[in-house]
Amino acid sequence: MNNEIKSWLEEGTIDVFLGYKEVDHHPIPWCFTRERLEEVDDLVVSPTRYSLEKLATHMAAVDPDIRIGMLARDCNQRALNVLAVWNQLRPEQIKTAEVNCCPSRLKAHADCSYLEPKTVGAYKKEAGIDNTFRIEDVKAYSPEEGRNRWMYEFQKCIKCYGCRNICPVCFCKECSLEHSDLVGTGPLLPDIPVFHLVRAVHMAGRCIDCGLCEDACPMDIPLRLLYQKVNQIVMDLFDYETGTSADQPPFSILGEKVTLQPKPILPVTAAEA
Amino acid sequence: MECKLVPSVCSYCGTGCGVLFEVINHKIVGTLPMKTHPVNEGKLCIKGWNLHEHVNSILRLKQPLVKTFGRFIKTDWDEAIKLTADRFREIIDKYGPDSIGVLVSAKITNEENYLAQKLARAVIGTNNVDHCARL
Repeated sequence: MNNEIKSWLEEGTIDVFLGYKEVDHHPIPWCFTRERLEEVDDLVVSPTRYSLEKLATHMAAVDPDIRIGMLARDCNQRALNVLAVWNQLRPEQIKTAEVNCCPSRLKAHADCSYLEPKTVGAYKKEAGIDNTFRIEDVKAYSPEEGRNRWMYEFQKCIKCYGCRNICPVCFCKECSLEHSDLVGTGPLLPDIPVFHLVRAVHMAGRCIDCGLCEDACPMDIPLRLLYQKVNQIVMDLFDYETGTSADQPPFSILGEKVTLQPKPILPVTAAEA
Repeated sequence: MECKLVPSVCSYCGTGCGVLFEVINHKIVGTLPMKTHPVNEGKLCIKGWNLHEHVNSILRLKQPLVKTFGRFIKTDWDEAIKLTADRFREIIDKYGPDSIGVLVSAKITNEENYLAQKLARAVIGTNNVDHCARL
C-alpha cells in the first residue's frame, strides 16, 4: 500500500495523504507530502483511531482546491459520505485507501476490532446503562426505570463538549449547544438532559456510529446508544440510512429540495413511550 | 499547505493530559486529545479542548508591563526585574519579611515550584508559601 500512496503523491493525484505515524511510540495522524516522500515508509495502520476526515475538512476550509488522500475504514467512509452530502467536502477531492474495519450496527461483518468490549463496572450496570447494550436491551427497561437510568448517566456530564468537538460530522460554525437560550452557561451544573437531547436531535440523519464520541467522553456516557436510537427512528420513518443513502437527509434545510417522503407516523404506544 | 499534529501536554492543571495540536500553515487551529496517552486515554476536559485559543489569544502578555500612574507601560525584562527587587527590598525593610506571601501553582513544573519556595524561604525570608489550589 505504501508504494501505491507514494505513486499517488508523485503523480499529483493527491496533494497530501492523511495517515498515521509513530511519534514517541504514539501513533498520531500525520500528513504525508510529496516533498518528504520517504516518510511514507513510516506509515502505520494501528487500531488507534482519530477523525482524519475532520482534519480533511479543516484543510479544505483553508484551501478549497486541495486534493486529499486518506486511510479509510468503514466509519471514515460513511463520515466522508455524510460530509459530501452536507457540502463540507467534494467527493472528487478525496481519495481513500481502504483498511480493516471495526464492528458497528451499520456493518454486519467486521475484521479487526478497535472497539473491544469494555469492562463495565457493577454499579453502572445496577444504576445506569451498560455501554455494551444494544437498543433492544435498553427497550427492555420499563419507561420509568429507563428514564431513571438515563438520568443517572446524563447527570455525570461535565459539559466538556468532547462529544461535539471530536465528532467527524459536526461542523456547524454556530453550534446550538452554545446558544444561550438552549444550553445555559454559568457556574451551576450543566442543563441536564437538555444538552444531550439537543445533541441527539442534531445527530439524526448525521451520526454514522463511529463511536468517537463515546471514546472521548470522560464520564463514559453511552452516547452511541442514544444516537443509534435516534437514527433508527429516522430509518423507520424515512427509510434513510445515514452514511449510505446518497440523498440529503430529510432534515437539511439548505441545498436542493428533499425528495424523501415520510411514512405515516404511527401513534406511539404506551410501551414505546 | 502544511498540516502537522504536534503532541504536547496540557498546561492547565497538574494532571498533564496528552494533547495534539492541529497546526495548519504554522498556526495552531485546534486541539485533540491523544488517544494512546496513559494519563487521559483520549479524553479531555473543556479547558484542554480549548488550549489552542489560549495560545493564540490577543490577551496574552508578550512583554513585561509596569503600572505607572495607573496605566500599564511596556518595559523590558531587566527594568522589570530591577523594579520588582527594589520594591521587595523596600517592603521587607519596612514591614518585615513575613509580610510577603508566595503562591505556587499546578501550571508550572515541580522544579519551578521548588525554586519559588526556595526564593521565599532563603531570599525573602518567609515561610508563607501556599498553593493556588487552596484558594
